[in-house]
Amino acid sequence: MQSNPKTMSSKNPRERQMLESIYSMIALVFILVTCVDLCDAATVVDVYRLIQYDISGVPFGSRFATLNHHAGSLHSAPGVDLSRTVLIIPVHELNITFIKEYISQRKPLGGLLFLLPQMFNFENREAATESKYQIREKELMKTVLVELERLLIHANIPYPVYFAFEDDDIDAVLADVKRSDVSGQPATATTGGYKLVVSAPEPKRIASPSITNIQGWLPGLKADGDPNQLPTIAIVASYDTFGTAPALSVGSDSNGSGVVALLELARLFSLLYSNPKTRGRYNLLFGLTSGGPYNYNGTHKWLRSFDQRLRESIDYAICLNSIGSWDNELRIHVSKPPENAFIKQIFEGFSTVAEELGFEVGLKHKKINISNPRVAWEHEQFSKLRVTAATLSELSTAPELLESTGGLSDSRHFINETAIVRSIKLVAESIARHIYGCQGKSIQIFADDTSLAVNAPYIRSWLDLLSKTPRVVPFLTKNDPFVMALKKELEDHTHEVNVHHEVLDGMFTLYDSTKAKLNIYQVASVTFDLLLLLVLGSYLIILFTFLVITTRGLDDLISLFRRPPSRKVKTA
Amino acid sequence: MTLFHFFNCAILTFGPHAVYFSATPLSEYDTLGTSIKAALVYLGTALVKLVCLATFLKVSENDSFDPYQELLKALIGFIDVAGLYFALTQLTHRNISQNHKFQAVGLGWAFADSVLHRLAPLWVGARGLEFTWDFILQGLEANANLVLSISLAALGSLMWLRKNKPKTLIPIIYACAGIVATMPSITRSATHLLFIAYGQKLLEKRIGVAFSKGCRL
Repeated sequence: MQSNPKTMSSKNPRERQMLESIYSMIALVFILVTCVDLCDAATVVDVYRLIQYDISGVPFGSRFATLNHHAGSLHSAPGVDLSRTVLIIPVHELNITFIKEYISQRKPLGGLLFLLPQMFNFENREAATESKYQIREKELMKTVLVELERLLIHANIPYPVYFAFEDDDIDAVLADVKRSDVSGQPATATTGGYKLVVSAPEPKRIASPSITNIQGWLPGLKADGDPNQLPTIAIVASYDTFGTAPALSVGSDSNGSGVVALLELARLFSLLYSNPKTRGRYNLLFGLTSGGPYNYNGTHKWLRSFDQRLRESIDYAICLNSIGSWDNELRIHVSKPPENAFIKQIFEGFSTVAEELGFEVGLKHKKINISNPRVAWEHEQFSKLRVTAATLSELSTAPELLESTGGLSDSRHFINETAIVRSIKLVAESIARHIYGCQGKSIQIFADDTSLAVNAPYIRSWLDLLSKTPRVVPFLTKNDPFVMALKKELEDHTHEVNVHHEVLDGMFTLYDSTKAKLNIYQVASVTFDLLLLLVLGSYLIILFTFLVITTRGLDDLISLFRRPPSRKVKTA
Repeated sequence: MTLFHFFNCAILTFGPHAVYFSATPLSEYDTLGTSIKAALVYLGTALVKLVCLATFLKVSENDSFDPYQELLKALIGFIDVAGLYFALTQLTHRNISQNHKFQAVGLGWAFADSVLHRLAPLWVGARGLEFTWDFILQGLEANANLVLSISLAALGSLMWLRKNKPKTLIPIIYACAGIVATMPSITRSATHLLFIAYGQKLLEKRIGVAFSKGCRL
């Protein structure tokens, strides 16, 4: 009876204490919940790997795919060991000399992650249409990218290099990384920060990649009883690309513009050839060739597959290459001297039409060096087989190996649709005058606002598709939907559409693993964990002493330390 | 490093139970059996509670706050009280004082709760590379839950085991017991209210920041 009020009184303050502690706990939980909202920033980002390839056994590109290092930025102090750091570099603040120095001196790096502006993201249509950059900035970025591409493609880089697109998440990460770098604490295992992880399998070489050529015919009208074969005019464009990041090499200009022009030409001439009255006395051959970046290997194979008679019947071939971003001058590249009668005829035909359309066409002559395996222009493959051929292009000089092959910088934004339309008009008009024999007469066959006008929406839709489809050959399988779409489109306009599958030969070997997922983890540092352990340990010790004192008294606590077997004292 | 973090969180989650057991006289009176029995009762109670929750509660697609559902949840929460009643009065305990009994029951109860609700997420989550505050929070929650369980057991032992209580204290005890038993619901409502009060502003601020970022780019 007596003990009852005593225990009650001893219990009630304790209860109150407990409730109070609960409330303080709840308050603490709320405070921490708000912290969680601010700290949580883990993200997964699509990344595109730098190309990895061999030229006759010599390795080029990035040789690794797996990545597991801390993030760093360009703001870190000079002289810091970066061999275990992934540098995140936005392209718009890229310092090309810095990268050049790192790559040429083969300094160790954990990895490189380049952030491309959203306008290069062809998968994100919305961001592509509303461009945030001024035209001058765009051009600047393009030159930087071209330089970067040239640097990366021809280097052997012993660490993974990835490309990603800027977005809010990755910008936030980069801002954090920069802040910690500026404050002089580069992110390593002891100070925390962000960890970038790409778990990709070891890149494997792609065995015997196949290339696919597509050809279509528009047969001309044969006069009755004429034993001779009709002459043929070939229009050719290579459709595949090669670039720093194979999964981003859409090549809108090189050579998406050529493919678009070829399809539109096929459409225009199919209209003319569907009517026997307007059917010309020339066969038209349309060829979409593959393997363009690899010395026009596909064109070579395609031409070899022709029989001799057919090859000899080709009057001339016009190759279309990069005709989407010129202002007022196009070039006709030839390998025969300009004095050659056939060349003269072609050039005169083109230049008169160009004059009427209000721009210039220049003639560029470049001899073929038989001993050099490099084939800079598609028409050189024709010329090697003694077929008259020329390449229509906006480029003033022959591109080097693996340049102007539709890389990263070759995006839809730099394409001028009207330029393509004018190029198409030029080619269509010139060929039509040749076919119908009205050279020198000023007639417009493909005039605007007629049924034979160049169809701009058609061009735009194909250009959009091409600008969304990466077309690096080893990653385009035989029955790729894109190849099938090209074939179907040619089938709609031409007859006898054939698809030739060949094996890409030559010195090129490419490796797979072009796309990956990058995980960005926010990691705590070891010091934080140590600190946490310290705090927790002291918390438990304080709890222990508090409980011992409140339930057993201070003396017990002291005796606990004085004599470890305190049990005996209790039982006694 | 991540194993280290896991270790830290495990200490925070399960340490206080061990400390409580070893620091108080519980360890001297061989009350481990009682704690284990209480833990088993907790298992049974948790099962019954799950069945009830699954039967009576609607699953809401969004995380909306429905007062009626919350009331139902609070009512189902009283199954805990029934389980504690069973553990305190119906189980045969070894001859230990009431004072130790409720502590042992509360401790076993809280420990079983921690193991059931927190061990698996901790093992899966805290060893990951990504650092979050979640598991530290969870550990703190385990601490709060220990306090809650022991106070509930104490109130239960006051209500059901003590024969002669002063009349004036009885309503206070019952009120306290009611409050403690509905504590999960109370905290949930409080979070919700807090979210309504401050969360909206926070949300607006965040959207504003994101928007201005988007404009700047």
